Amino acid sequence: MTRCVVGSIELTYGPMSDHALRRTTPQAGPTTTDERESPTAVRLEDVTHEYGSSGGRGRSSEDRTVTALRDVTLEVGAGETVGLEGPSGSGKSTILHAVSGLLVPTAGRIQVLDTADLTSLSDRERTRLRRHHVGIVFQRFHLLPSLSARANVALPLVQAGIDRSTRRQRAESLLEQVGLGDRTDHSPGELSGGERQRVAIARALVTDPDVIVADEPTGELDTATGADVLDLLTDIGRDRTVLVASHDDATLAVADRVVTLRDGRVVDDGR
Amino acid sequence: MAGDDRFETTTAGSRRARWWGVLTVSVVRLWKRATGTKSRRLAATTAAVALTIALLIVVTGIALGLADGATVDRDDADVRVAPAESDSLAAVDGVEKSQLGEANARAERIRNGDGVDHASPVLVEPVALESADGESKRILLVGVVPDDESRTVAGLPTDELESGDPHYADGSYGGPRRGEIVLSAAAADRLEVEAGDELTPGGERLPDGAAPSSTVAAVETAGDGEAETPVALIHLSELQTLSGAADGELADQVLVWGDGAAAESAAADAYPEATVQSVDRTNPASLFEDELAFATSLLALIVGVAICASFVATTMGMTVNEDRRTLAVLESVGFTTRSRLAIVAVSTLLTTVCGALVGVALGAGGIYAVNRIASATIAPGAVAELHPLFVPYAVGVALVAGLVAVPYPLVVAARTSVLTEVGR
Repeated sequence: MTRCVVGSIELTYGPMSDHALRRTTPQAGPTTTDERESPTAVRLEDVTHEYGSSGGRGRSSEDRTVTALRDVTLEVGAGETVGLEGPSGSGKSTILHAVSGLLVPTAGRIQVLDTADLTSLSDRERTRLRRHHVGIVFQRFHLLPSLSARANVALPLVQAGIDRSTRRQRAESLLEQVGLGDRTDHSPGELSGGERQRVAIARALVTDPDVIVADEPTGELDTATGADVLDLLTDIGRDRTVLVASHDDATLAVADRVVTLRDGRVVDDGR
Repeated sequence: MAGDDRFETTTAGSRRARWWGVLTVSVVRLWKRATGTKSRRLAATTAAVALTIALLIVVTGIALGLADGATVDRDDADVRVAPAESDSLAAVDGVEKSQLGEANARAERIRNGDGVDHASPVLVEPVALESADGESKRILLVGVVPDDESRTVAGLPTDELESGDPHYADGSYGGPRRGEIVLSAAAADRLEVEAGDELTPGGERLPDGAAPSSTVAAVETAGDGEAETPVALIHLSELQTLSGAADGELADQVLVWGDGAAAESAAADAYPEATVQSVDRTNPASLFEDELAFATSLLALIVGVAICASFVATTMGMTVNEDRRTLAVLESVGFTTRSRLAIVAVSTLLTTVCGALVGVALGAGGIYAVNRIASATIAPGAVAELHPLFVPYAVGVALVAGLVAVPYPLVVAARTSVLTEVGR
């Protein structure tokens, strides 16, 4: 076991093993413990979002708009893995972006963990919430090509103000756990698609978030590589809340339940 | 199976580590992009800044040359060796000045030192000269040992004289005389002669029979303003013979050209008792004393900042535009707007500073080229001068230009839509 002290907090790293991404017994402060005990990790209430509107809530717009979500209400329990399925344009990605605070819906309320309504937070507060509590996995990985795998994984910790040696240690530990311990110095251009997605998953996990959102995580991968990535997601999902949007049945099969969307509406919440 | 750790980020971070990390990410990204990938925009920005700064350095160097031309000692040597200030041996102070002995032989030794381009003793004697049809006029004759390079002594170019000093003949003073003399315009006016005329020394100080004539090789402007001194250059040994300084190979000073420290060291070895001084000819403060030079350098500064800022704003704006996806990814992993803009600002300013350093090197090359061209065509010597202060000056100007330019890339960065970029 490796021990590391960050400020007044002692971190314990387990021995290196592939896909060992589950959390140990939570030891964090009272807020985090409360979050763990909360039965609902993500809640959307009557969420409507129109692209192309002027952006402000309650404002009307004469622009041509596309309604991506219509009165979506959804609850995801802590530790639950929920799949989002539906045809293109059905609102899957919009839900993930709204949960991660990358967009503010035109109407409705979104609550992540026990925070205030996400739509009432400032940009800065939503960025902070995302940094500490939400990890995002994109279909196209979106790694920074000029940084090494380790630096890509450690990136969220830079903004969190974690010192360099702890960043490196944490990033190397996660890369080890996703099976890329020997690729830490490689740039994304030197990695295969599956390896890049593993790096992206390690980056999403580096701040130890409570919620992971994954948008078509296997969309760019072949079947075998996709299966490896799904193993990782399954591992992650054992004690985190995971929302995964996909067209792919194999990907959706890792979910505890699958929510079906059509034209921005929930037609089946999978319960 | 061992579990993952709990990692707390909400309380563990420090502001200092964050900003240091943001700076590191900016520098590493820039370095990797500059060395490992094909970022033409980055190269374009650096090249644009480098060329602008090079132009600024060359123009400022010429302005400095203009300014210094009126105020410097009228030679372009790097080191001067003069007799040490000491108690005069003369009974009446000031009657006879101290001189350097064995000047020809020791200058030869200095000349052979590493890093020394040339060394020449300089003997200054007022001598009465007369033309074929004129009366005798007193002129300040300056004896030098010229070489193939264009050098300036007493404000006159030495390369108008034949290279070498054959009359010296290893101290025998029996070699052939060149019989050449280079007159300043004032001296030519006073003697009423022009190039090709004969001049004969005369007057009470000449030894009997030592009155060989010299031919005016050239008439040059001595460059010391309207009150130009009537001065003339001739070969050292010929003046030594003429003035009686051949015994003891006397000279008033020895001028050394070459690398400052090496020349100084070689001169000190040859003359341990004498005063050896490095010449700091280029004094940037002189720019403020010369109106034309000041106006030229000020104009170069304003144009330089304006052009540099325009180039940086345009090219860095394009670079940031290409880099929108990276900025979107940074936002998606929790980088605040301030941190993302800091990365853009650091990248912009760092690129500008790198361009400035390349520009200084190019500018130094430009000054060398200008001097070569000027020497070969219109000027007797260097017209532009380089000074170590040009390095911080260039970096400072580039930073100012970068600061003027930085709002544009920042606006481009701030307008990046994370959903548009990560959704692609």
